[in-house]
Amino acid sequence: MIYLDNGATSFPKPEPVRRAVAAAMDCCGNPGRGGYPAAMEAVRRIYDCRDAAAELFDCKPEQVVLTSSCTHGLNMAIQTLVKPGSRVVISGFEHNAVTRPLHALNAQVIVAGRRLFDPEDTLREWENALRQGAAAAVFTHVSNVFGYILPVEEMAELCRIYEVPFIVDAAQSAGSLPINFRAWSADFVAMPGHKGLLGPMGTGLLLCNRLPKPLLAGGTGSESQNQEMPDFLPDRGEPGTPNVAGAAGLAAGIRLVRRMGLSRIACREHQEAKRCAEGLKRLGFSVFSGEHQGGTVSFIPQMDCEEAAELLGKQGIAVRAGLHCAPLAHESAGTLKSGTVRVSFGPEATPEQSRAFLQAARKLL
Amino acid sequence: MKFCFITFRSVTFAQSGQRSLKRVGIETILRRTPKGLEQRGCGYCLQLKGTVALDAVDQLRREGIEFSKLYWFRENGSAEEWPT
Repeated sequence: MIYLDNGATSFPKPEPVRRAVAAAMDCCGNPGRGGYPAAMEAVRRIYDCRDAAAELFDCKPEQVVLTSSCTHGLNMAIQTLVKPGSRVVISGFEHNAVTRPLHALNAQVIVAGRRLFDPEDTLREWENALRQGAAAAVFTHVSNVFGYILPVEEMAELCRIYEVPFIVDAAQSAGSLPINFRAWSADFVAMPGHKGLLGPMGTGLLLCNRLPKPLLAGGTGSESQNQEMPDFLPDRGEPGTPNVAGAAGLAAGIRLVRRMGLSRIACREHQEAKRCAEGLKRLGFSVFSGEHQGGTVSFIPQMDCEEAAELLGKQGIAVRAGLHCAPLAHESAGTLKSGTVRVSFGPEATPEQSRAFLQAARKLL
Repeated sequence: MKFCFITFRSVTFAQSGQRSLKRVGIETILRRTPKGLEQRGCGYCLQLKGTVALDAVDQLRREGIEFSKLYWFRENGSAEEWPT
């Protein structure tokens, strides 16, 4: 199989990640609850994961809350900043992990910046929306459907200028693009552990510049006599037994990403996405591509997109079709009705993968 | 005085403290805080030699690592909170 669905999860997991997960399952007790060697080993591995993340994203280990997914982190962040009915500014490329929690809060959602691969338009619209004030702003770093890299540093700066607290959804960028938490001064950055960071599914991180509102209450192994959740990080966001094996795998994944180098990963992914986009255009498909694009490219085949993905699957090419849990992004691009086929590369992207994909894509004509 | 404990509200703070102290050559042992010293329920502490306790406290303060209290242990096993 040629796996081109890294936007959904990285697969297969690297050997060091699998080894770290297995080793943790062999030797770890419950962290933060006991003082015997197996419990302390678990404590060490959990901290190791925080520490690896803190180094990669320029923050303190205490600011790294371990979550079960990016969605989990986004929900925690959104529920912290957004009161029911309040005005929230979002980009035109948000995932349901952002829009559904806002809908549940009955937030007044302002969508700003809907033109693909046009950072100037994004920034102009973003500033216009922020100027009118908002309880919060939420924006993705990279569109999960189209690979559009939003101008996050400038968007963050505008949020700071207009004093709007903000959340960055780094679902598609963590592990391939620089995320400088300190420089951005984001209130929260949420990310999955299992995509670009190469960790196991069921892992995620929420970087916090303020105390999050806990979605759950329960034991943390600290201040047990206090019936309120602890008022400090990371404990406030982490009730219950953590996913130690997952955290160990995620730490191994983060270290692997650091060894490979973000710029090298981004370069490989971008090159292959570009190669695919050009090849698909030559074949006559409608392709979404532009200058500010990561390792993901979407196209519209001349048949139902799900049928096209199925045909590609039968040829050993794994891609994802449909709306990619991001109807807002499809609405922005005008593809809500048709959906698209999404090709998303990972850190081991090669020209051979692109060539095999394009060979298979010929059969969709 | 044989050794002392620096207590922390969270195991993560204790781990950051341990790493910070190691950087300046102060060796510590991470362990559960004795129940008699922990007034809020459960916690972790760093055990270290009494001779470096005040240097350790200074280092934690310099790096902004939050700790709760410093306890000195006497030869007879009794503990005394030391104002920091």
